[in-house]
Amino acid sequence: MTQTLRIRDQNLILHPSGGLYLEEHTLLIISDVHLGKISHFRKYGAAVPAMAIQRNFELLDEIVNFFRPQKICFLGDLFHSHLNCEWVYFEDWVIKTAVQFTLVSGNHDIISPLRYESLGITVSPQLVQSGFLLTHYPNELSDLFNISGHVHPAVRLSGSGRQSLRLPCFFKRGNQLILPAFGAFTGTHLMEVESDDEVFAIADASVIKI
Amino acid sequence: MKYREGKVAKSKLSSKTVPASEALLKMATSWFKKQGWTPFDFQKQTWKAFLEGKHGLLNAPTGSGKTFALWFPIVLNYIRHHPDYKSKHSKGLKAIWITPLRALSQEIRQSAERITTDLQTKLSVGIRSGDTSPKERAKQRRSMPDLLITTPESMHLLLATKGYDDIFRDCTAIVVDEWHELLGTKRGVQMELAISRLKTIAPKLRIWGISATIGNLEQAREVLLGTQSETLRNSILIKAELDKKITVRSIIPATMEKFPWRGHLGLHLLEEVIPIINQSRTTLLFTNTRSQCEIWFQKILEKHPEFAGEIAMHHGSISKETRIWVEQAIRDEQLKAVVCTSSLDLGVDFAPVETVVQIGGPKGVARFLQRAGRSGHRPGKESIIYFLPTHAIELIEASALQQAVKKHAVEDRIPYLNSFDVLVQYLTTLAVSDGFLPEIIYKEVTGTFCFQAMSRDEWQWLLHFIVMGSQSLQTYDEYKKVIIDSNGRFLVENKGIAMRHRFQIGTIVGDANLTVRYIRGGYIGTIEESFISKLTAGDVFTFAGRNLEFIRLKEMQVHVRNSSKKTSKVPSWMGGRLTLSAQMSELLRQELYSAPEGTISKESKEKQPSLEIQALAPLFERQRLESIVPGPGEFLIESFKTQDGYHHIFYPFEGRFVHEAMGSLLSYRISLLSPITFSLAFNDYGFELLSDKGIDMQAVLDNDLFTTRHLLDDLYLSLNATEMARRKFRDIAVISGMVFTGYPEKGIKMKHLQSNSQLLFDVFREYEPENLLFRQAFRETFEHQLEEGRLRLALERIQSQEVVWKPCKYPTPFSFPIITDRLREKLSSEKLADRIARMSARLNRR
Repeated sequence: MTQTLRIRDQNLILHPSGGLYLEEHTLLIISDVHLGKISHFRKYGAAVPAMAIQRNFELLDEIVNFFRPQKICFLGDLFHSHLNCEWVYFEDWVIKTAVQFTLVSGNHDIISPLRYESLGITVSPQLVQSGFLLTHYPNELSDLFNISGHVHPAVRLSGSGRQSLRLPCFFKRGNQLILPAFGAFTGTHLMEVESDDEVFAIADASVIKI
Repeated sequence: MKYREGKVAKSKLSSKTVPASEALLKMATSWFKKQGWTPFDFQKQTWKAFLEGKHGLLNAPTGSGKTFALWFPIVLNYIRHHPDYKSKHSKGLKAIWITPLRALSQEIRQSAERITTDLQTKLSVGIRSGDTSPKERAKQRRSMPDLLITTPESMHLLLATKGYDDIFRDCTAIVVDEWHELLGTKRGVQMELAISRLKTIAPKLRIWGISATIGNLEQAREVLLGTQSETLRNSILIKAELDKKITVRSIIPATMEKFPWRGHLGLHLLEEVIPIINQSRTTLLFTNTRSQCEIWFQKILEKHPEFAGEIAMHHGSISKETRIWVEQAIRDEQLKAVVCTSSLDLGVDFAPVETVVQIGGPKGVARFLQRAGRSGHRPGKESIIYFLPTHAIELIEASALQQAVKKHAVEDRIPYLNSFDVLVQYLTTLAVSDGFLPEIIYKEVTGTFCFQAMSRDEWQWLLHFIVMGSQSLQTYDEYKKVIIDSNGRFLVENKGIAMRHRFQIGTIVGDANLTVRYIRGGYIGTIEESFISKLTAGDVFTFAGRNLEFIRLKEMQVHVRNSSKKTSKVPSWMGGRLTLSAQMSELLRQELYSAPEGTISKESKEKQPSLEIQALAPLFERQRLESIVPGPGEFLIESFKTQDGYHHIFYPFEGRFVHEAMGSLLSYRISLLSPITFSLAFNDYGFELLSDKGIDMQAVLDNDLFTTRHLLDDLYLSLNATEMARRKFRDIAVISGMVFTGYPEKGIKMKHLQSNSQLLFDVFREYEPENLLFRQAFRETFEHQLEEGRLRLALERIQSQEVVWKPCKYPTPFSFPIITDRLREKLSSEKLADRIARMSARLNRR
């Protein structure tokens, strides 16, 4: 169900939930969770089912239990908007999970870093891990291998009989890997695939190399 | 002219009503005399009935003087109650005129002002719609015009105003114009709800509707006035039967062999249209879609530049100013021809129009008759309508239309039932203004046709929904919308929520539309987002008859500049696809069955088929090479293979919507036999199941897959796989306020609240599948999209027919228009991974 890539002498494991595990570093990387989105809508009078709020935390629990990482890095857009009641659920989850957290902040992360820090989460604009540069926006400027989010990549496949499918994916181009959005209530962006690109689509509960 | 009284029109109530004063009626007739006119019987009947205190429905076509039929008694009634009307003016709203199209309000105002002025009253006439300036609106709030012309949306916005009951207290009449247009839509439900409120707060109110001819006029009256209501009992149905001769002429291509089988928008027949345009003062060319309209306009100018300045284009996405200019130019006889869409179907009287050309099948008899009525717009004058087929098989449709016109087979408009989304919106509207007490509103709402069968439980659910936003309680929740105060009154306190709700009322339907502007300013029109998303900067596309270069997309606005480059890109607008009505389908099959085997000699005693059917002889011959032209007792299935895959084509001839349902149902049932993936295509004649492997047709027939048993269950399951309910859900989510669309034209953005209704649909499916609004998406799909009732009848018919399955080598003429259709649905019973494995070779790389 997972896929493993060998890059810069490291194992990168792609998980169907959209998370990426750096095995040698016991580091789990998760991008674009967009917590608080549902509560934000509800607060403004749009009745998105409240039950769905728990879904992101269930997904987070599943992937944490799968890899048992020592460190977790959020690649930006962890929270969708201003502080709302989902922060309380998030606090509970952070305390329960008890690993070392880092947030590489993204364009949606407007909640004060002080709040994260009081939870023991380090906030920084980027993170360097032996040969890897972790950012929110895709970054091609460095010699390091870039792992990023922000784009919510997806691909379209087509087949005989005029069939077609649109699937979220891990998207690798040159020295760059873009993670799919982890959040349950997020959209996707269709990528234009060039000949050297590598695409790992998420289908049901597996990651499939296209 | 006939006059039919309502069933219970002579009820006990009529004895209580004030008799129509002869003196009053004389004022009207002498006004007509002064103009050199004589009032029609239907006008006199309407005046009398109104003055007797009756409610009613007037069945009268456009251009018949229907506005005078109702403005007059409204003014006369005022005169009766205000004998000193010439010197004194009593303030306040007296009457509301509802029109579905803002564009029509100017004309309605003019006819009202003619009466108020000529009768020397001091009554004022005002318009209130989306185009009314905020300043004008504020002025109206302080002092309403006596006679108000408005739209259903603006009517609801008035109900969202504090102290609205004061505004309506002395209102004596509400007239709903073009009621047939509203009847089968959610705006019709909006009207039902608004009227249910007015009945309580305006005790002197008379309720009138005006409708063109539809199949279910009696029902139209019931929907307008309320099921089993006192209002309905004291009402009348008046028919203005102005007989008009309509002649249909098909444009038959000279040579049938060269005639393309697939839809080419009819452009190959362009030259046939030119003499028709030249022969008459003004010609209207009706197309079925806006993109077809754009292309035809371009092509006529390209081939015949001499028409420059003499032809124009009119469709719903072009800016209002341009549309008004075109309408005026038609009236002033400045134009030889106008290429248009249904945007010119309604209202507005265009005397100079002599000829109408319908390009492509109009799909409905009522629509066709209405368009035909656009020409020769004077009583007694013959209306000529030319029918230009866009592909050969449409000639069968032309033949069927001739029959339809002869038999006056007009369709029903099916009213909505239990539109909970509109009710949620309405309840929030009342909560925004003065708040509401549920017991009072419940009685009013259940008195409407739409909600007559709503249960107490459903009502409770809805109340719960607007307050809690969910049925399941969470530990922490900040949902905010409607609150309940200590008196049990439901109201909205939060100003932001009230503001957003008011914005939302106007957007009852519509796709995500973007405004198109020149980079230096200047509004051109609106365009669908899906089209723009396929363009990159520098691309040139045709819109509003111009070649425009796409520069950028900024804040819901498309910035463009003029370009001299040629282009083939024309935006397509969704929702332009119409379906054959049940009546038309039936006539169409009859015409098809009349196709003779071989040639018929002129001397033959047998009934001659129509000219259209005769013209199709070469096509029928070709069809019979490998397949058959089905007769009354036969149901045809064809299968063949092309490079696209394995095609399986079924021909029920029942119209697009029924085919969509049947295709979805059948593909689901086949997919149970073995894992398979289909893409589905449909048109009005049949549907196609296309797959990358062949299906065992014998197994399909042996397993009785056309049965009506478990029809609903199977449809539900097939729907889960297909996407129909998802599309219905979009409107429901917007109307009920779960998704915000923002208000780009007014520069008000709510981007942080814009979500994708598709995502929302998935969330509901997983977490709240019992949500009434979610379930409504499925119900609407069954009742309005798939026409479950018709589907059942069609399946029963097929069961009584002999199935003829023809494996063919090549595509047949009948199959061509279907297999070339690119708009497709999907259904799969295979595992995703298996499908990807086969598809991955085909990843579209640059």
